[in-house]
Amino acid sequence: MARHFLRPGTLMQSMQDEARGQAPFVALSVVLVFWVVAAFASAGLGRVATALLFVLGVVISGSIVGLATAMVAAAAASVCYNFYVSEPIRQFHFGSARDVMPFVAFSLCALVSGILAGRLKRESRAAHLSSKQLAGLLQISETLQSAVRPADIVSVMRSQTDLSATSKIHLYLSREGSFESWAADDRLDQMAQLTLQATQNPYRRDGLVAYRLQFGETFDGVLLFENADVTLLSPAFMSSLANLIVLAVERAALTEINAERRAQVRTEELKTALLSSVSHDFRTPLTAISASASSLIDLHDRLDAAARFRLLRGIVNECDRLNRYTANLLEMSRLESGHELTRRQEIGVAETLSAIIQRIRPRAGSRKIETEFNDDRLLIAADAALFELVIINVLDNAITYSEDGTRIRVGAALEGQFCAITVADQGCGIPEADQRRIFERFYRVRRAEPSPRGSGLGLAIAKGFVEVMDGEISARAPGLEGLGTTIVIALPNVEKATRG
Amino acid sequence: MTAPHILIVDDEPSLLDVLEPVLEAAGYRIAVAKDCATALAAVEVNDFDLILLDLGLPDGDGKMLLQRIRLGQDVPIIVISARHQEAEKIAALDEGADDYVNKPFEIGELRARMRAAMRRHASSNVNAPTYSIGPLTIDFPTRRVALDGEVVRLSPKEYDLLQTLARSAGQVVTHKRLLAAGWGTETTDTQYLRVYVGLLRQKIEEDPSDPRLIVTEPGVGYRLVASG
Repeated sequence: MARHFLRPGTLMQSMQDEARGQAPFVALSVVLVFWVVAAFASAGLGRVATALLFVLGVVISGSIVGLATAMVAAAAASVCYNFYVSEPIRQFHFGSARDVMPFVAFSLCALVSGILAGRLKRESRAAHLSSKQLAGLLQISETLQSAVRPADIVSVMRSQTDLSATSKIHLYLSREGSFESWAADDRLDQMAQLTLQATQNPYRRDGLVAYRLQFGETFDGVLLFENADVTLLSPAFMSSLANLIVLAVERAALTEINAERRAQVRTEELKTALLSSVSHDFRTPLTAISASASSLIDLHDRLDAAARFRLLRGIVNECDRLNRYTANLLEMSRLESGHELTRRQEIGVAETLSAIIQRIRPRAGSRKIETEFNDDRLLIAADAALFELVIINVLDNAITYSEDGTRIRVGAALEGQFCAITVADQGCGIPEADQRRIFERFYRVRRAEPSPRGSGLGLAIAKGFVEVMDGEISARAPGLEGLGTTIVIALPNVEKATRG
Repeated sequence: MTAPHILIVDDEPSLLDVLEPVLEAAGYRIAVAKDCATALAAVEVNDFDLILLDLGLPDGDGKMLLQRIRLGQDVPIIVISARHQEAEKIAALDEGADDYVNKPFEIGELRARMRAAMRRHASSNVNAPTYSIGPLTIDFPTRRVALDGEVVRLSPKEYDLLQTLARSAGQVVTHKRLLAAGWGTETTDTQYLRVYVGLLRQKIEEDPSDPRLIVTEPGVGYRLVASG
């Protein structure tokens, strides 16, 4: 962020700054030079040249160091001139106007040069200050571009070295009645409140300087300087700084509103999508259940025992499916509304996976579900219900998209800090281009051949849940024996102190 | 009489698992097609007595299939669709589907629709001269409508509507078809239709506020119950 500007008066300023500290030394050397010139060179130079040299010396010391040094030089020049140069030589003589004239001339030179130099010095200092303020404002306005929240604005101002070197800055915002402060100091809070009611702006009290920010209607705000460097805080500077901050705060507020609106639109889209999904996902099992149950009533005698059993089995399965959809939807809306995971508990991965597989086996038909885990160090901190939904969604997908009689292998292993759970199938597989997109809501792989239809929600929900549990989910090819897909779920493994 | 040959075009395994055994037990011969291509191939080789078509097929839409089948033959087609897909149902009926059932349905309802569709198909070839249900009889050649033997006086438009409904008794008739029958133009406001159906109900229903003969199919059309 540091920028270098060529500032007017900087050279002069630095010379003066340097010389000011050495004023006695400069005065002494000027006196010495005057004495040397008068004592040893004046005979050769002549009176006029010597006098001009003295004038030169007085002017130089006046312009470089200041009025005081110039007066010392003028006095020295008068003494040297009177003693060494003017008649009678090597003797002080104050008899006539001729003797007083050099003293008067030297003193006037000193006065004029000293005053001019002083004015120049003041002006250059003011120029330096204002350029410093300008550079500061520029820097603030640049860094404020990146300030997205009001809290960022405060930290931007505090990082501004020229301002924060001497004073500490606080920002107060009150929006629609609520008062936001980043100071946590009663005295400062009170000062800010007073400023909001004060008539003068800036408002100074107890060594604090406060500037009221001029917003539109929604905001009130105060900029508060603690231990303020008064020279730096000119009204013009404060008002420009205030303008910058008002702009930044308003931009931050707009950004916030925009983000809210976008979130709203996304929620709406999700709702619509969920509704249409519900209408399909729920109606299909409901249709099967309704048709089965009414058949059992209407055609009971005409159906043989095996057919009746299949219908009843189907009803149970479809109820299970509906139950799963309901759980998915519920958990999904919980996730969408930003609920934190509060029901975390330690889960033994191996035993939980076994239990889930046991439950899902009836749905798998003649597909063979193999397991490959026995490591009891596999422990995760997760919501048990969510974890189960994730695994069931992934397993359900593997079953839906693979033929009867194929194998599905569920594995779990420790991989660094993570517990990696893999579900590999021998199904129709996922093209590489789709491997990331299958986790998007309602994304279904386009296939030329007819394929079963899922809701397009299962993997999206799995991804959402895994991410809430600080994990990752991904798909890769192949699954088993060069066929199908492997879904990898990596969840942080809980470190357990080795037992006794 | 041989068992009617039914083609089910659906891709939901869970629904097929029910329909196939149940309809077989109900005395039908069943063939299944899980996508449009298989269905078209099956229709080429077989003469089906009825086709059950799910509108939500994954590859291409069922409507396209409907058009292709209609080009070739005049087989009754019943569309299975979701309740909220009004526009698709109407479009399917206009493309030549005979009727529809909403998901979820009961098997009795489905079988009634199937029977009605097959009967109409059979009778439309013979052109039955009369229709009768309960107290209501319609004699088509003489345009005579009677309730418990007593003649009901209908305006020509009312009669045209009733006849159109009776010709497809048991099946839904779309607003569009009824408008075409009564007014000769499909662009007439369905408001007229509602008014005339109301008048008809006044004359033939026992309780016009609770119609038993002319049933409203919301958003789609009207259905006159099948003769029995």
